[in-house]
Amino acid sequence: MAERCAVVGIGQTKYDRCLPVSMDGLVRQAALRALEDADLTFADIDAIVIGKAPDALEGVIMPELSLCDALCAVGKPIHRVHTAGSVGGSTAISASTLIESGMYNRVLTVAYEKQSDGNFMWALTGGRSGGAGAGGSFAPWIRNYMRKSGAPDHIGWKVAVKDRRNGAKNPYAHVSQADITIEAVKESPMIWDPIHFLEVCPSSDGAAAMVMTNAAGAKRAPRPPAWVIAHAKRTELGVFPGRDPVKPVAGMECAKALFKKAGITDPRRQIDCAELYVPFSWFEPMWLEGHLICEEGEGWKMVDSGATEIGGDFPVNMSGGVLCSNPIGASGMLRLLEPANQVRGTAGDYQVEGARVALGQAYGGPSNYFAMWIVSSEPNPTFS
Amino acid sequence: MSEFPISFTLEYPYTRTLGPVIGPFLTALRDGCILGIRCGNRVLCPPIEFDPDTGETLSPDLVEVGPAGSVESWTWIAEPSRKHPFQEPFAFALVKLDGADTAMTHAVKAAGPEAMSTGMRVRAQFREERAGAITDVYFVPEGDARDQSIAPGEGEVEISTHLISLTYNDTLYPHAARYAQGLLDGKFIGQRISGDQVAIPGKGYDALARVMLTEADDVELAPTGTVLSYTVITPVKYRGQKETEPYLSATIILDGAGQSLVQQDIRNIPLDELRVGMRLRAIFKPAAERKVDDVDNDWMYPSIGDVVERWEPTGEPDVPLDGLPESM
Amino acid sequence: MEDIAIVAFAQTPCYRKYDDSEPSMIMGLVNQIVEEVEIDRHQIDFTIAGSCDYLTGRAFAFIANVDGYGAWPPVYESHVEMDGAWALFEAFVRLQMGDIGSALIVSSGKSSPGTPREIFPLQTDPYLGAPLGLDPVSAAGLQARALLDSGKATERDFAEVVSRSRRDGLSNPNAQVGKDVPVEDLLKEPYYASPLRKHDLPPISDGASAVLIARGQRARELCEKPVWIRGIDHRIESHHLGLRDLTDSPSSRIAARSLGLDAGSLDVAELCARYSPEEIVLRQALELGDGTRINPSGGPLCGHPVMASGLTRVVEVARRIRGGEAGRGLGHATSGPALQQNLLCILEGDA
Repeated sequence: MAERCAVVGIGQTKYDRCLPVSMDGLVRQAALRALEDADLTFADIDAIVIGKAPDALEGVIMPELSLCDALCAVGKPIHRVHTAGSVGGSTAISASTLIESGMYNRVLTVAYEKQSDGNFMWALTGGRSGGAGAGGSFAPWIRNYMRKSGAPDHIGWKVAVKDRRNGAKNPYAHVSQADITIEAVKESPMIWDPIHFLEVCPSSDGAAAMVMTNAAGAKRAPRPPAWVIAHAKRTELGVFPGRDPVKPVAGMECAKALFKKAGITDPRRQIDCAELYVPFSWFEPMWLEGHLICEEGEGWKMVDSGATEIGGDFPVNMSGGVLCSNPIGASGMLRLLEPANQVRGTAGDYQVEGARVALGQAYGGPSNYFAMWIVSSEPNPTFS
Repeated sequence: MSEFPISFTLEYPYTRTLGPVIGPFLTALRDGCILGIRCGNRVLCPPIEFDPDTGETLSPDLVEVGPAGSVESWTWIAEPSRKHPFQEPFAFALVKLDGADTAMTHAVKAAGPEAMSTGMRVRAQFREERAGAITDVYFVPEGDARDQSIAPGEGEVEISTHLISLTYNDTLYPHAARYAQGLLDGKFIGQRISGDQVAIPGKGYDALARVMLTEADDVELAPTGTVLSYTVITPVKYRGQKETEPYLSATIILDGAGQSLVQQDIRNIPLDELRVGMRLRAIFKPAAERKVDDVDNDWMYPSIGDVVERWEPTGEPDVPLDGLPESM
Repeated sequence: MEDIAIVAFAQTPCYRKYDDSEPSMIMGLVNQIVEEVEIDRHQIDFTIAGSCDYLTGRAFAFIANVDGYGAWPPVYESHVEMDGAWALFEAFVRLQMGDIGSALIVSSGKSSPGTPREIFPLQTDPYLGAPLGLDPVSAAGLQARALLDSGKATERDFAEVVSRSRRDGLSNPNAQVGKDVPVEDLLKEPYYASPLRKHDLPPISDGASAVLIARGQRARELCEKPVWIRGIDHRIESHHLGLRDLTDSPSSRIAARSLGLDAGSLDVAELCARYSPEEIVLRQALELGDGTRINPSGGPLCGHPVMASGLTRVVEVARRIRGGEAGRGLGHATSGPALQQNLLCILEGDA
């Protein structure tokens, strides 16, 4: 019988370009804040799991080797997960399994990116000219979703406004635009038709960390823990004839496995809020449908009705999401860490009142990697 | 079968922000001196931001160490790599500078291995051109050291640059070589996989049936297809980028193929005239002008080389939207 | 702790240059394994890979590798940018949760396209090490010198490791290098990164290996001779060479102690000693005695497919236990300059 995993400490850096810190300084800031939140020190940690997106972003290969001292990992187990954009999510899940296995009592997990050291577009294209970038790859899929669902053009703009205004309530967010309007998004330059500039995620530096422990450790934690109720990962082949990258089967399978493990039968009703990996605005309705939170073709209607606002019946990306902060290696972890903030009641100005059960999702690659978890304020919630 | 060598260089000048310890350390190197950091009753050099034993953050109490020190270990590099500090034989060594309690790894320029020994004394020398980097300094045997007068630079070094350049050489794998040859011959060669689908470019294997494919599985596709989707790309500046004007990037599915050719540049059709469902034909360049330099082994970077002059509307009626393949 | 066993394993030969894709190498191994245990690939509950994109210079090369182990219909899988031995660790941990029964671990690497000596300095401190081009061979040279200075080893000891290993490589069908060279001849060769000579270094190799593990009863369902994993542990040392004792392997000692390793009980140990002095450091740190056969496969000195080299050591031990040559063995993997990080895996056959 597996141990229950509890998140008892959360730490983040401010997300921004060119943070004036070394690699050591960046990860330590998040780690020390998480440890302080948990009222623990490095000495209390049994194992460390780090996660980061491609090494070419910083030009540092296998950074666990050069960061182990900074995280006090000397003499301890440390390993590094890499699953493209979903890596932060996969890392959180990997750390959770270390606790759930019963092999370790207290685990520190850190995900980060210091992409100002390099250049994201260059790293993605290997320096080849004419690189379409992530947006250039996804824009045709977004156009496909718009066409099939009949969604009006303003849906993407609405998501951008919501997320940027939410980000203004998050002291760590890179981009914060309390006064952003639909008009401003629509008028902003077109980058990858139909994606406008203000619908695109920033390129950020930053680190996020969590301290995880088992039930015994959770009893000693100074603040309420976030219990990891269930987690799931699914991957499908990235390219093959007949593949649907717009509503990938792996995304649906991941959600199904997750909900089944959690005992959730009606996600829209039984989950209080969610953080979904939305680097370009239209991914919000696409993931709402892609993860079976609503029927096909209904995702954009959820956005349009205001359901995904903090005050709505299914708030999404209360923290501002990837559209406000995107240190790639950390973004996936943030999507799993922010739900933990919500169910602990520590989400400050973007807290969803009474959030008890929250969903976190990260995706990566050509929409073929998915990592998701459900956290709750209770260790064994039941759903009806 | 011709061989298709592929070679590419990953090169980028990384620019690193440094923080409150490495910044002053590199600034000091630029200014001709080496710093360590106080940690309890020890001095650590190179300086670290924290106590390596307890993990506690150290206040940046930096002190000058050296410029001389002792070699704790060394190795004579008979054939330096292109990335080493010297291109003639030299030694890497662990040097414990006077005043420091820990050793730093660095390079020693000496006449030969017979000049090196554990315990020997070495002295720091500073290069004429300094940038605020670890390469600003090196070491020589004490007897070879020259006095230097280094004029300090202006301001603090807050960013350090490292040009990282790596070259990779390979050849196109057999299936990719046949695909590239096909492009040079003005043909699109895909590979038939299970379910009677055609993958283009082929991967040399069928990832669904999990078997290797051979030349017998190659199939030529007609150079006509349908637009499944598209975007207009506004070029972003980055190192290596040559594009400046917005251009169409279309997803085209060739007739008979089961997966589309993504990111096909369309330059000859006005930005607002491309339609989903539009029928296009690839017009190949004259044979002598066709190039396959950027055809790759890795299907993550699909390319049809530089063989298509343009995608020409065929004039056929558009494929109705509900007649398009479900998937892309 | 749940009982976890290796139920099948496979490796490619070590090639100087494999003339096809990394996914195709992996595909062959996975097909071999599922055929051997007579299951469908999709009956494996969890898959995890170990590889490093920088070897071939493609960010996201690991995504292509998914083709090799199959992901349609979608699968539960993950990836570490490390040697497959660490993927084995994650899989072992995952199975301890008790809810799934089997895991497939694959590891692969093609070192042939790049210049490893220029690539691997990027594993060192980005401010203080990488700009010096501080490569693993140079770090190994520093460790070798420290060993000689401490009196813990001689150059003859290094040559004896090489001579024995390369001779053993002759009987390993998967080895890339195998030859019978007497110690005296080796000692006559010039230094390359003194006191290391070129023959003290591993060859540059392309290759892959894979392992299928299963829990308890499932292990017995899948094979007749499960090779039980009695424990896995890994530890790391400082990345500052000046803060380490290069003549010892404290991280290996800690891992061994944490596992309760009784070195005297080991019939065989496959050590991922990439440079001959590393074998000596590990033998001493792990207190391996004369009763333990070291690297009967020839070890990395005969074939070193980076990212698969460590998992391959586990495979070689499993092979000998299954073949009856050994009852209990140790597989070791390492990462980073001069044995910075070390993983130990204790294997045992049925009594």
